[in-house]
Order: sequence, then structure tokens, then C-alpha cells
Amino acid sequence: MDHLTRLENKSIYIIREAYYQFKDIAMLWSVGKDSTTLLWLCRKAFFGHIPFPIIHIDTSYKFPEMYQFRDERAKEWNLHLLIGKNEEKLKGGMGPGQGSKLDCCNELKTNALKMVIKKYNLKAILLGIRRDEHGIRAKERYFSPRDSQFKWDYENQPAELWDQYQSIVEEEEHFRIHPLLHFTEYDIWNYVKRERLPIVPLYFSKNGKRFRSIGCVTCCSPIDSNAQTIDEIVEEIRTSKTSERSGRAQDKENIYTMQKLRALGYM
Amino acid sequence: MKKFSEKEKKVLIVGIDGVPYSLLNTYIKKDVMPNLKKILSQGFRLQQMNASIPDISSVSWTSFNTGVNPGEHGIYGFTDLKPDSYSLCFPNSGDVKAPPFWDILGKGNRKTSTLFQTYHPRIIHPYRSIIFNVPHTYPASPMNGILISGFVAIDLKKATFPESVYPYLRSINYLIDVEAEKAKEDKGTFMQSLFECFEVRKKAISHFFAEESWDLFFACITESDRLHHFFFDASEDKNNPYHESFLRFYAELDKFIKYLYDQFIQRYSGKGFFMVLSDHGFAPVRKEVYLNRFLEEQGYLVLKKNGNFYERIEEGTKAFDMDPGRIYLHDHDRYPRGAVRKEERSDLLKEIKDVLRGLKGENGEKIIDRIYEKQEIYNGPYSGIAPDLVCLPNDGHDLKGSLEKREIFGQNIFTGMHTWHDAFCLLPENITFSEKPYIQNLTEFILQYYSE
Repeated sequence: MDHLTRLENKSIYIIREAYYQFKDIAMLWSVGKDSTTLLWLCRKAFFGHIPFPIIHIDTSYKFPEMYQFRDERAKEWNLHLLIGKNEEKLKGGMGPGQGSKLDCCNELKTNALKMVIKKYNLKAILLGIRRDEHGIRAKERYFSPRDSQFKWDYENQPAELWDQYQSIVEEEEHFRIHPLLHFTEYDIWNYVKRERLPIVPLYFSKNGKRFRSIGCVTCCSPIDSNAQTIDEIVEEIRTSKTSERSGRAQDKENIYTMQKLRALGYM
Repeated sequence: MKKFSEKEKKVLIVGIDGVPYSLLNTYIKKDVMPNLKKILSQGFRLQQMNASIPDISSVSWTSFNTGVNPGEHGIYGFTDLKPDSYSLCFPNSGDVKAPPFWDILGKGNRKTSTLFQTYHPRIIHPYRSIIFNVPHTYPASPMNGILISGFVAIDLKKATFPESVYPYLRSINYLIDVEAEKAKEDKGTFMQSLFECFEVRKKAISHFFAEESWDLFFACITESDRLHHFFFDASEDKNNPYHESFLRFYAELDKFIKYLYDQFIQRYSGKGFFMVLSDHGFAPVRKEVYLNRFLEEQGYLVLKKNGNFYERIEEGTKAFDMDPGRIYLHDHDRYPRGAVRKEERSDLLKEIKDVLRGLKGENGEKIIDRIYEKQEIYNGPYSGIAPDLVCLPNDGHDLKGSLEKREIFGQNIFTGMHTWHDAFCLLPENITFSEKPYIQNLTEFILQYYSE
């Protein structure tokens, strides 16, 4: 069995196990390359028709290309799409130009997700995060419990040895399930290539620049790149030495520092 | 024989963040702090002191830790801009250019400073220190002893050296800091969590104080600063609903200082060196003053509508402010869109100083008390990166560097503001000063004590 098939099999196994344990489950789709890969794997796991809803947390500041891609795929793949929006804060004018990025992310992403989870009484969420994305994500489990406050206690997690997963949930907890944890960025691009997966065109180079990671228009900057095809992207990633999220606004520790300082009236 | 007696030298330092000399004096007189009063009658005296300039905890404690001015240690605030850019960065312990006194005592020779050069040769044997919850020591770097970083520490593991003390801290659910974000939601609950945080802090300090061996023990209390930020209006107003809690905090602080002092005296039969100090004072805040808005209205600052903090600075900008009153000229050789040429600097500085001096409050009162040019207050190899001007306000007007305000004056939930002229120290009465000391002047006495 080749490398990509092995990765694929493991992911599909986890997706099926998750659906078996939790009927109140949904998948979070950011429309980026990773969660689109996850969406593809979910379709494969259930032979084309995904038996649970797909959530898109819409900050309303995403790239137009992303909205277009979302709506086209939702139609083509017959997805049960739920849009999560923090309407109240959006009406109040919350956005990247107002207040801090941290408040903006917190309200339009985290709190919007909290609302969706509550509204649909979800017990588990499938997410397309990967271990190699960021130092802290290396500590993640495939089945990762969160308490009612959304807190992740990364020092007190179930062991996951020899593919034995702890998938029983306690009251007041919900699970985050990460079927792509073992993929690297390089694997993702190779898999996208092998499966001929459609992806948002922002990833391809235009005028010498492309996006390596996408989110809200205001908080993503493109990298210098001439990669205009999947093959060229695969080659670029293979030889790249900079981090994938370097075009993203802030790292976590800086965000916390900022939060602490602002709570005391600085900045 | 000499070797043995040298090792007998012991130092205990208690840092209390943001406690003003004037309030402490009042509370001692009013018997809120009877134990401190007693200590003062046993060969100690209370001295009013200046904080560092600016009077920000990270700058002031770093000045104390290193015993040198910001021109030598390189820390001017909680925030800076990355070189040749407008992106915010947060200086941490790695950015401190001068060695802290515990490295001079511990013979960890990684950095140098004027103080290091004087005292390094005089300290023969390494001394072991415990440095507990001192601000701006994050991430914890290797040293001779134990170090647990204070504000702004994020990850407790990275705040701990050596890592072997981490399991203990975790076992008592140690908190680096109270969650000040919560004060917005419910002040009563926040007050309660302040006391809880103080409890766990005392517990941890007492543990290391009693269980570990050390030559120098330096612990800081952070909760006082948080209490003052949110409840300073309760300090002397008997009708304030939080007045009782405010006094209770000081009474508990008094008891805790007594506990440490008594143990210290008992164990080392009075031969040790004992000191208590704060890093800045506090005063009631009447208005916040947004200097960037003022510079904008005066035409010195041009901001784009969108963008991240200082990235909004446009080409026409001549000057901008960073917290609290640090004014930087927008030099063309220092910033990507910089517009200020070398030859116009001195005229521009003079002009901006005049404009700032003319800033008046809503009742016509003067806002700015003093304005310093960097060469007046900083010297050393890192004074080049210093702000071009530093403004110090009159008490009551808190200078802020926010870029998001539409008015010059405003109010927030805070009732207290830092002051630079009213920090305190309690120290042996034979130590006297010919003029009011700055916080960095104290450090040398610790090193002197060990090199005698």
C-alpha cells in the first residue's frame, strides 16, 4: 500500500468511528485546502453522501473566491450546509478595522462556532487540522475532548497508543475529532494532486504571488511564488523552508500577550 | 573560614507591584499595616522613590533587576516595533541586554553591563537565587537557582527554570496572573479572584522560601497592581463598596511581609539584608489622554482606515506615540514610509514639545508635566532605539498610545493610573540618598552587600 493510501485509510477509519460514536456530529469546513481534503475523505467514507451537516463559519470577510467555491461544491456534492455567523456582532460593526484582530477572531470565529454547537446541540466536530501546522497542534489527539467552556487541557488527554482511541464522551464535554492529524502540508498537496481535488484558485500564483494559507481577506497576505499548477506547488512545498502560516497575522503567544496587555489598558 | 562566612550572606527582597509611597505611609499611620510599622522601628526606613521612565512595570522591574537605565538594558515598554517595520512586537527576557543581578551573583556570565564590570570581579563564589514572579523575566532562562517568571508570562512551563519545579506549581494550580479580562464582566467576582490568586501566590512563595536552599530570595506580588488599576477609588473612600476589601488586601499583605521577615530574621539572626519595594506608584485617574489622537488632530500623524495597529501609519506622518507617552519621530531611515529627514529633526522635536506642552484638559489644566528628550534621561549602547521624547503627565491624566480613539480624552473601567514619582522602598536605615533615588539605584546595594 502506498503512503497516501495509508494516510487515507487511517482518516476514513477515524471518520467512520466518529460517526458511529456520535450521531450529533458535524464537520467544520473553512473552504481551505485541508478541510476541503477532509470533506473529500468524508464523501469517500460514506460513498458520496455525507450523513451529517457541514458547517461554514462565515465571518463575512472571506475572499469572494471562497464563497463562490463553497456554493459551487455544496451544490455539486449535495452538502447539508449550515452557515454560522455572529449576526449580532456583525450588525454592531465588528470587523478587522474596528477593535483588535483578537476580538474580531474571537467574536466572528470562536463565538460563532459556540453558537452553532449550542443551536444544533452537537456532541462532536470534525476538523481538518494537522500536526505539522504549529507547535501546539503537535500535541493534539485524534479524539480531543473539550469542556463546556471550550477549554482544551493539553496536559490531561487520553493516550492514543497503537491506534486505540478514547471516543466515549462525558456529559458537558464535546469532542473535536481530527482525522487529518497525520497528514503534512506536503502530503495534502500530493493527495490533492492524486485525487484531482478542486481547490480555491487563490492557492495558484497570480502576478508572482499566491496564498499558502487562506482565511479572511484582511488577515492573510500572499507569499512570493510562481507556482501556477498543483505540480509546481508540490515542488515549492518540498523545497520550502518558511512556515506555512507565516502569512497569517499573529502567533498564539503574541495574541495572548496582547490580550493580557489590553485587559490592563495598554495598546 | 572566609569562604564559610561569605556563604552566610542572605538577602530577602519583596517586590509589591504598583504600591505608592504615599498610600503606604497613610496605611502605616492608620494602623492598616501594624506589622510594617513594627519592622520600620527595627532599623529600617521608608523612602520615596522614582520609578523608571516610562513608569511601566516591564521597564521599571528590568531597571531594578539589572541596576542600569533603559539605555543600557534596552527595554522601553511592553511593546515595540520590529526594526524597519510597523509590526508590533513584545520584548521579553531575551531582549534585555544587561545581566540581572542574580546572574552577576550566580556567576552566569552571558551578558555584560557597567554594574557587571564593577561587581563581577568582586564576587568570588557563586550565590544561588530564587527569583519568583518578577515581571519581564519570561521566558525563564537558565540561572543559578530557581526562576519563575511573572507578567507577561504565557506558558507556565516556559516560565519555569529548572523544569523540575513545574510539577509542584501545577499541583497547587498556580496562577501566573489573575484574569484581568474578567473585571469588565463583574467587578465583585474579579475582586474575589484577586484574593484567590494572592492566596496561591503566597502559598508558592512560602513553599520555595522554606523548602529550597538559597542565598537570595526575591519574590513579587502582582495582585496589588491589579487591585489598583480597577479599585484605586476604593483606597480611601469609606463609602466605596470595595473599601473594606481594599483594606483587607493591605492587611493580608502586611501579615505576609511579617511572616517572611520573621522567618528570615529567625533563621539568619538578623545578619541578612532585607528590602521591600514597588516599581511605580498609583494615583486616581480622571481622564485617559490619547496622544495619538492629539498628534493626528495636530497634523503630525496620518492613519489609514484599515490595518493592524501601527501598520496604519501613512507617509505624511511625522510622529507617533506608543504606550504610555513614548513619542517617536517617523524617521525616513528607520521606517518604510518614514518622512522625517535628519536636518529637520531638532526643529521638529522642539515644535512637538511646544504643542504637547500646550495640551490642556477640559478645565484648562495642564496635562503634561515634563517632556524629556532621549539624551536627557538615557545613556548606554541601546539609547539609540529609545523614544525621541518621553512625556510624563500630571497625576490624574493617564497617557495612552491607543490608535483607535476618535477623541483626545476618554474614560475606561480603570480607576487608578501609574505614577512615576511615588514608588517606595523600605530598606536598612543606614542606606541614605543625597537625592530621591530611581529604582535602578537600589540594585547596587545588593551587590555591595555580597562583595563586602
